Amino acid sequence: MSDGPGRIVDAGSLRKDVDDRPDVCVVGSGAGGAVVAARLAARGLRVTLLEEGGHFPPDQLKMDETWAYPNLYQERGMRATADLAVTLLQGRAVGGGTLVNWTTSFRTPPRVLRHWAQAFGVTGLDEQALEPHFAAVERRLGIQPWPIEAANENNRVLWDGAGKLGWNREVTRRNVTGCQSLGYCGTGCPIGAKNSTDLTYVADAVASGAKVFARARVQRIEKSGRRIVAVHAVGLDPAFRPTSRKVVVRPRLVVLSAGAVGTPEILLRSGYDPNGKVGQRTFLHPVVASLGTFSRPIRPFYGAPQSVACHHFSDRGSGKVSFFLEAAPGHPVLAATSLGGFGAEHQEQMTQLGNSSALIALAVDGFLPEEKGGSVSLRGDGRIRLDYEIRPEVWEALREGNKALARVQLAAGAEVVRSFHESPVVMRREADVALLDRAPWEPLRVSVFSAHAMGGCPMGRDPEKSVVDSRLKVHWLDNVWVVDGSVFPTSLGVNPMETILGLAHWASDHIASAT
Amino acid sequence: MFRRNRYRRERILLPHEREGRRSFLKYGLAGAALLAVGGGTWLGTRRTASSPVLPGPFAALSPEEATIFLSLSERLLPPRPGFPSPLDVDLPRRIDGLLALMDDEARKEVRQLVRLFENALAGLLLDGQWKTFTASTAEQQDARIRAWQQSRYRVRRTGYRALKKIVYSSYYGARETWAAIGYPGPPPIGAPIDRSERFVPGTITEGGLPGPLGAPPPSPEVKP
Repeated sequence: MSDGPGRIVDAGSLRKDVDDRPDVCVVGSGAGGAVVAARLAARGLRVTLLEEGGHFPPDQLKMDETWAYPNLYQERGMRATADLAVTLLQGRAVGGGTLVNWTTSFRTPPRVLRHWAQAFGVTGLDEQALEPHFAAVERRLGIQPWPIEAANENNRVLWDGAGKLGWNREVTRRNVTGCQSLGYCGTGCPIGAKNSTDLTYVADAVASGAKVFARARVQRIEKSGRRIVAVHAVGLDPAFRPTSRKVVVRPRLVVLSAGAVGTPEILLRSGYDPNGKVGQRTFLHPVVASLGTFSRPIRPFYGAPQSVACHHFSDRGSGKVSFFLEAAPGHPVLAATSLGGFGAEHQEQMTQLGNSSALIALAVDGFLPEEKGGSVSLRGDGRIRLDYEIRPEVWEALREGNKALARVQLAAGAEVVRSFHESPVVMRREADVALLDRAPWEPLRVSVFSAHAMGGCPMGRDPEKSVVDSRLKVHWLDNVWVVDGSVFPTSLGVNPMETILGLAHWASDHIASAT
Repeated sequence: MFRRNRYRRERILLPHEREGRRSFLKYGLAGAALLAVGGGTWLGTRRTASSPVLPGPFAALSPEEATIFLSLSERLLPPRPGFPSPLDVDLPRRIDGLLALMDDEARKEVRQLVRLFENALAGLLLDGQWKTFTASTAEQQDARIRAWQQSRYRVRRTGYRALKKIVYSSYYGARETWAAIGYPGPPPIGAPIDRSERFVPGTITEGGLPGPLGAPPPSPEVKP
C-alpha cells in the first residue's frame, strides 16, 4: 500500500538519479496512461508514471501559438510524415493530447468494435463491455453535449450548412466544466475549464500515492526472458534536451501509453519487434480543410473550436472510404502554415481570416481489407520517422470530403470557398464545386493534416499479425500492456480521446488482476 | 531498419537524410544531380552575399543562410499595405530561433535545404536559371519558388513545404502581423475555474491536497 499523496516531479531538475521499484510503471500520461495510473493507484498499487512532456498547470498556459507548439506538442509542433505531406498535431505534456485537443468526445462506434472482432479476432470488447467504462470516464471528465446555442460562428456554419443540405448533423460532447468559450483549447486551457487528464486522472493518481516524473523520456525497456525488468528514462531540460539525470524504474508490470508514435518507438528502440508488426498499421484520419469566406465576421479563433459534427458520410458503401466533417480553429500560425499558395495569393487569404470559416473533412482509414496504413520506424540517426502513403481510395474520400465542405459553406452563405491546394480551387457557387474533381489530389499539392495518430501496436488474436491481444497485453511479453491509441487495428471514424479513455478504464481491471 | 515497408521504393526524403540517398537516386539523373550539388559542392563560383541589413549574429544560421531566408521571405510575403515587412518583424532572427529549437539533425537538413534552394547549379539543371536565388530578380525568384512548389519531384515539393512553413509560422507568430489579418489576439479571460470544489487541483506538491475528490457537476456552464 502507498502512504499518502504522491507528487509530480520534474525529472530534468532532479538532484540525483532515481532507482525506483514500484508495482507498476506507466509510460505516458495522456488519455490512456493517466486512467490506468489512477485506477491502479486507487487499488493501492504503487504506481510510477513517466511523462516525456512538461507539467503545465492552467496558469502557466498561454493563449499563444508560438509558445504552445514548441512546449506542448511533439517535435515542437513540427511533427509530420517524412515527406512532410501530412502534418501531425500530437501533444507532449502531462495530460498528453488531452491537454491540447479540441475536447471532442465520442464513444467508439459499435460497428467499429464489430469490425475489430470480425477482421482481427478481437474478443470481449463490445458495446456492452465498454458501457460502464465510458459512463465512468464521462462522469470524471464532465463529458456533456455542447448546446448549439453555445456554438461559435464557425461551428454554426457547419450546423446551418449541413441542415440546409438535409445531412445528419449533431452537436458534440465536450469534456469541459465552466468553459468560457475562449477558443484556445489547442494551446492548453488557461482557466482549467478543460478536464484534461492532467487535472483529472493524473491528479487522482497522485492523490492515491502515484509518483509522476515529468520531462522523463523513456529510452528503452530492458527484458529478461518474457518479462520487462526495467524501464530506463532520462531527464529532459526545458528545451527537451537530455540531461545527465537517469530515472530507472524496476516494476512488476509495465503499461506503455506513449501514443501511436511513442509506444512503437519505445519497443523498436528496445529491439522488441519479433513479428515485424511493431510500428505497422498506423492510421491518421487524414484531413483536408476548406476556407469559406463570408461577408460577416466568423472569428474562427474564438469560441469552442469543435462542437458540431456531421457523420452523414460515415457509410459510403463497400470499397469506399468514409469521412466525417468537423470544424477547426483558425489561429494565425495554424492557418498560415496550412493555406495554399504563396505571396499575394496567400496574403489575400490571410486577410480574410476573421470573416472565414475553417472546416475539415476527416477520412476514416484502415477499413479496406487491402489497407495497411503507414509505419513508424527508426532512422539511422536515431530519430523516429513516420511514413504514410495516402491510398487512392483515401484520396477519393478526401476529395469528396472537400466537396462536402464546400457545399456546406456555400449553403451557409459563404461568398467564396477555397480549397487548401497549392493552387487553391476557388468556388463561388454550387456548380463550382465540381472544380475540385479536376484539382490535383497528390502529396504536397494539397495540405493534409492529422490530429489523430492511431495504430502501430495493433490488437488482434493472431500473434503473427498483431502486437497486443484482446486484453491489450503484448503477445510475446508476460508483464507488458499497451494502453493508448496505438492498439487500434483501424482508425475509428470519430475523435479518439474517449475511446482511449474508455479502453484504459476497461483494461485497468484485468491489468490489476494480473498483479 | 526499413525491411517491412512496402512503400520503400517510393520513399522520398528531405535532401541529405542519411539513409535517403538510395531513394533519392531512384528519381534518376535530375535527382542525382540535385543531390550532388547539394552535397557540399556549394558551386563555389556563385556565393551568397550576406545582406548588410541583417542584425546578426545568429544561433543556428550562418549569415548567408539568414540572407537566403530573408530573400525568400520577401517573396513569400511581398510588400502589401498593412503588412509589416519581414525585416520589420525581425524575421531572420525569428527563423533562427525556430531552427535553434530543432534537434541537430533536423536543423542540419533545413540548413542544407536552404542552401540547395539558393544553389545556382541546381537552378540551372532543373529550372534553367543560372543565378543564385538571392542574386535573381523578383520575377526569377517567384519562378524558382513556383518551380519547387509545382515540381514533378516530390522531394522538391517537400523542400518548398518546409521552407514555407518555417517562414509563415515565424512571421504570423509575430503580434505585429495580426492587425493585417484581422486577428485581435487572445481575448481577456474571466476568473479561473476553481477546481478545488470538484477536482483535485493539477498542481500537486509535497504539501498535499487541498480539496476532496468528487464527481464534476452534471452540465457545462454555457456562455452563448
